[in-house]
Amino acid sequence: METNRRLIFHIDVNSAYLSWEAVYRLQHGAPIDLRDIPSAVGGDATTRHGIILAKSIPAKAYKVLTGETLYSARLKCPELLVVPPRYQLYIQCSRALVSLLKEYSPAIQRFSIDEVFLDYTLMEPIYGDPIEAAHSIKERVKKELGFTVNIGVSSNKLLAKMASDFKKPDRVHTLFKNEIQEKMWPLPVEDLFMVGRATTSKLHKKGIFTIGDLAKVDPQSLYGWFKSHGHLIWELANGIEDSPIREGSPIKGLGNSATLPFDVEDRKTGHRALLSLTETVAMRLRDMGKSAGLLSISMKDRDFISRSRQRKLDVPTHSTKILYRTACCLFDELWKGKPLRHLGIRASRLQDDSQYQLSIFETGLEEQRALDKAIDEIRSRYGSDSIIRSCFLYSGLNPMMGGVLREEEYPMMSSIL
Amino acid sequence: MKFTCFQKKLSDSIIIAQKAITPRTTLPILEGILMTTYKGVLKLVGTDLNLGIECFLEANIIEEGAVVVPSRIFGDIIRKMPNSMIEVEVDSNYRISIKTENSHFTIQGVKPDEYPELKYVEERDPIEIQQNLLKEMIQNTIFAVATDETRPILTGALFEVKEDNINIVCLDGYRLALKRGMVANNKNISVIIPGKTLSEVSRIIDNSDDKISITVDEKHVLFDMGYIRIVSRLLVGEFLNYTQIIPQEHKTRIRADIGTLYDAIERASLLAREGKNNLIKLTLKEDRLIINSNSEVGAAHEEVPITLEGNEMTIAFNSRYFMDILKAVGDEEVCIDFTTNVSPCVFRPEDGDNFTYLLLPVRTSV
Repeated sequence: METNRRLIFHIDVNSAYLSWEAVYRLQHGAPIDLRDIPSAVGGDATTRHGIILAKSIPAKAYKVLTGETLYSARLKCPELLVVPPRYQLYIQCSRALVSLLKEYSPAIQRFSIDEVFLDYTLMEPIYGDPIEAAHSIKERVKKELGFTVNIGVSSNKLLAKMASDFKKPDRVHTLFKNEIQEKMWPLPVEDLFMVGRATTSKLHKKGIFTIGDLAKVDPQSLYGWFKSHGHLIWELANGIEDSPIREGSPIKGLGNSATLPFDVEDRKTGHRALLSLTETVAMRLRDMGKSAGLLSISMKDRDFISRSRQRKLDVPTHSTKILYRTACCLFDELWKGKPLRHLGIRASRLQDDSQYQLSIFETGLEEQRALDKAIDEIRSRYGSDSIIRSCFLYSGLNPMMGGVLREEEYPMMSSIL
Repeated sequence: MKFTCFQKKLSDSIIIAQKAITPRTTLPILEGILMTTYKGVLKLVGTDLNLGIECFLEANIIEEGAVVVPSRIFGDIIRKMPNSMIEVEVDSNYRISIKTENSHFTIQGVKPDEYPELKYVEERDPIEIQQNLLKEMIQNTIFAVATDETRPILTGALFEVKEDNINIVCLDGYRLALKRGMVANNKNISVIIPGKTLSEVSRIIDNSDDKISITVDEKHVLFDMGYIRIVSRLLVGEFLNYTQIIPQEHKTRIRADIGTLYDAIERASLLAREGKNNLIKLTLKEDRLIINSNSEVGAAHEEVPITLEGNEMTIAFNSRYFMDILKAVGDEEVCIDFTTNVSPCVFRPEDGDNFTYLLLPVRTSV
């Protein structure tokens, strides 16, 4: 084996939310392991968050799908045990996993709450053969942390990620360049990273059904169909990918959105819901030491029609007040009066908050900062509901909405680190 | 339509008319220049509906008429012709023939009927100002006009006539530029002229003492130089009350030589990073100003002799904004007034009040 080739591990927690919940319950004396019965982590149907977030393997046998409604899942499997999500727990488990992995390599990238890349290059002399090391990591996680992981081993991040997705749970798989043809090409094309629903259906129309089919297409024609994305997926299909392991990957933006507990029918309540989301987003920004230069809001009405709008800010900021005021302007410009079921807010063009150009149009920034800082400190010490805005009393709205981890925001974890 | 005229004159006029033409227009006819014969002279018109420019030039008119010529290609052809007499002839199908001694081009023109008419502004009671003064006033303020459309009104410049003073004020939120000119007019006017219009005007007018007359009505402004007329829409809305923004008091005042200060900041800015507000840090000491900047490339330290009245202090700026102002100040010496390191600083002339520039600092947490 060459010593200087790259060796990348992708560690993926098996049904993360459910496993973590199961481990937690076992530790607290629960008689049954959720992983052994048809069970799922799901939202609360009464606040209209009634979808399946994660499911156990026995539940999978009933064809329960992630993302489907609790109602339809119960039709398939009447004895399904649904437990509520517990994000604080997931964050703790994820941290525990990362700190264990850090013993094996200094170069670690959190890809999402339950996925981590580890750069094992040059670690062989210390921890031995990579496959054996992967097995020992897997066993240690199982023994010390109580949940199982799949580990993919390869020479780049893409292949390692593809490998960890092979047979589950509790396995180590390799997918080196010379194994691509045999292990990856027979897979359906939608299993490839970066091939989403829209791309899949276009590829199917062109008669491309497996990753192998895609790999063999002339990249020129793919470029013709998908532009640069075509080039990218062709490279991925051929296992070509060389992005480095980035600790604290650059975050482009962060946002929170929430399905509201009731349809919003008036402007004032709409603004209040935005305030609640802004509280969360602004606090996360401050936590990361970033200011946002651009704010966007999105809304989904009763008929599931989505709209969004964005605005550049005069001065990059993480002030709850300014972000809220901007969000309200955007809301008023965007909303045509149809009852809303979902609202979202997103801050991007992030920059370091240690310096910013002052503007004539924003005064009193120093006072705002001091106020925000004081509130953050109270909340971090006594809990997020220890201090809330009085307008949320009796409003039926949570004073700090959002916080549900969304896949599009992989690097968001760093806000909690 | 048929005329002859000198290549240079025609080419110069085309270049001026083209300044009002935007390459991406929704009305294809606006990609052209309207060319008409008019009382023994030739008139060229270009417009984007907001801004319109008319040029009159001497030509030997053989047959009256009008045509819309494709601006780019017609301009390119005329520009490349030798500097001699050019003969232009348009037939009834608007085919344009361009001839010199050894060249002959034919291109297709367009029927002039649909070309929009420029807004007529009646020249009643115009303001008169020397062209070189106006040019200087525009050039030394226009850099501060807002480039993004967040506040559309700020993409324009406030043009104010108060008795014998003319003020031009531009501001984008981070800085403000105010230039005063003395002109005996005895009028009171306050309008907002689009930044684009003013910057074209400053490019078109001469560096001479010749007067240009400016007329405004409710919605338009007309700049008339006799052989060139520029008509523009005004921006509608309320400009900021700029006098309120300019601090009248200060805690620290420095005096510095502009050339020395500019050069030092320019050097320091080589190590200031674009993405990081081009940050330079100024330390004001009793007898010198210290400029610091750094990036992953390295660090810069510059010292400039100054005189200081008041408190010593440290303040940070975007070096690009700072240099823009120093360039516009133009005098040999400048006074800069500071209050705190998070409040605006003000650039004033040694004596008199023919300019005021205001710049907001970059807040750094140190």
